[in-house]
Amino acid sequence: MPLDHRRLQGPDESQPPALWAGEGSGPRDPCALRPLFARAGLLSQAEGSAYVELSGGTKVLCAAWGPREAAEPGGGTAGGGGGGGGGRLVCEFRRAPFSSRGARPRPGGAAEREAEREAAAALREALEPAVRLARYPRARLAVSALLLQDGGSALAAAVSAASLALADAGVEMYDLAVGCALCRDPGHPSGAWLLQPGEAEERRAAARLTLALLPALNQVSAVLGGGRGGDPESWGEALRLGLDGCHRLYPVLRQSLLRAVKRRDAAHTPPGS
Amino acid sequence: MAAVCLSEAEKLYIVHGVQEDLRVDGRGCEDYRCAEVETDVVSNTSGSARVKLGHTDILVGVKAEMGTPKLEKPDEGYLEFFVDCSANATPEFEGRGGEELGTEIANTLYRVFSSEGSVDLKSLCINPREHCWVLYVDVLLLECGGNLFDAISIAVKAALFNTRIPKVRVLEDEEGSKEIELSDDPYDCIRLNVDDVPCIVTLSKIGYRHVVDATLQEEACSLASLLIAVTSKGALTCMKKIGKGSLDPESIFEMMETGKRVGKALHIALQKILDEEESLGTTRQKVGFLG
Repeated sequence: MPLDHRRLQGPDESQPPALWAGEGSGPRDPCALRPLFARAGLLSQAEGSAYVELSGGTKVLCAAWGPREAAEPGGGTAGGGGGGGGGRLVCEFRRAPFSSRGARPRPGGAAEREAEREAAAALREALEPAVRLARYPRARLAVSALLLQDGGSALAAAVSAASLALADAGVEMYDLAVGCALCRDPGHPSGAWLLQPGEAEERRAAARLTLALLPALNQVSAVLGGGRGGDPESWGEALRLGLDGCHRLYPVLRQSLLRAVKRRDAAHTPPGS
Repeated sequence: MAAVCLSEAEKLYIVHGVQEDLRVDGRGCEDYRCAEVETDVVSNTSGSARVKLGHTDILVGVKAEMGTPKLEKPDEGYLEFFVDCSANATPEFEGRGGEELGTEIANTLYRVFSSEGSVDLKSLCINPREHCWVLYVDVLLLECGGNLFDAISIAVKAALFNTRIPKVRVLEDEEGSKEIELSDDPYDCIRLNVDDVPCIVTLSKIGYRHVVDATLQEEACSLASLLIAVTSKGALTCMKKIGKGSLDPESIFEMMETGKRVGKALHIALQKILDEEESLGTTRQKVGFLG
């Protein structure tokens, strides 16, 4: 079909703007972590809350509600939940309709709901080992994570934020669960793994991996990965890199928790005393 | 999932046994239970398989239907997974009870098959952007006796091996309209190459050791398991921790090594059985569900 040149006054040739914008310069350091900002205790209505932002655009807001009486005593519906005498941890993961690049997914659509439910299950699996559920018999703890903007490594950020929110709510925990994501760049000759990939890196990745670690206990609470990752040695290398990343993120989260406690303390003590 | 109640003493017995590399049914830590595989058991499907692994009983049917390719991959067909937890397996699955487990398994299967090259999707394309084959893989849980994931992956691989998709040709006339012509010969069909289809190996951590192919009793003793999808060449395509507990980093490395070793052996054994069954031809006596 011939183009109508009177209506479309563009140049004959065009290039995508991404060509000029350019993402960073040169190959990045695979071990580099994206700067992380964490703040706990920022929502007034929730019992515990946290906000985690990774530089590059991932923003997650989390709220946690402490023990409530479970509707069904004993917990544990078929196939899910806690059961076993302990409490139940209920996780929810929501993506804001405008969170991802490109077309807006229909909120409440089947595919969207499915993805959210899978992420919620992954979140629960990562957090359950960190929470002392045995201390809350017949009770339920609720965590809800809201992904405001997806700039890559969203699930990992959600794990960190959710464990911060739970700790902020005063829930008894063994340790904070620190999340970290990796991806394998297909363009790279040796197929090296990158720590905390951005959205663009994640999209073209050959394989992806999300880890959660309880650093004080040195226990891995979540491993979730897929793709063409190669032999176990390569995945092992990714695991080591990711665990190292988790250890490096841990002090930042702990600091933010301490700051939140201090802030709350200051608010409760009258200025005169 | 179907749960069993074990007393502390029974659990201790199992844990101590595993530590001595001797399990309740006499197996070692890296041994599978005896598995029965039969393909082509349901005639209304393009390919089907039934796998019985101990008391776990899985039926998989693959139906090929014509659909439109996905926008982002215009020259490839795709696979759809659906897992149905029948109430025959355990009364908990009645009504919507099995839905949660079903979607979890289906999501895991999507993840396992997400790696490019596990199935040659390009061969499922009929004409780009317009028609492709969609393989609906329906998994039916008939009985749960532990280690669902491994049994399901074996059954899916066997069913894909058995799948026969009719050959079609695209005819184009002068005006550019296309017509799809089906071959007259019912035996004229394409087979899928399943060499790179991964199998899942679930390693359950019991005490200080890990076991493959845990029974329900052993699953009750295990707090965390690692699920690994291994191809016949030993490459990992998926890795996932399941269960409420956590794992030591060192044990994850060990589990990956074991998983690779066990997975490779599993692939060889499965391929041998499938080839053997294939060589018997169409006159083979089918065992079906009464065997």
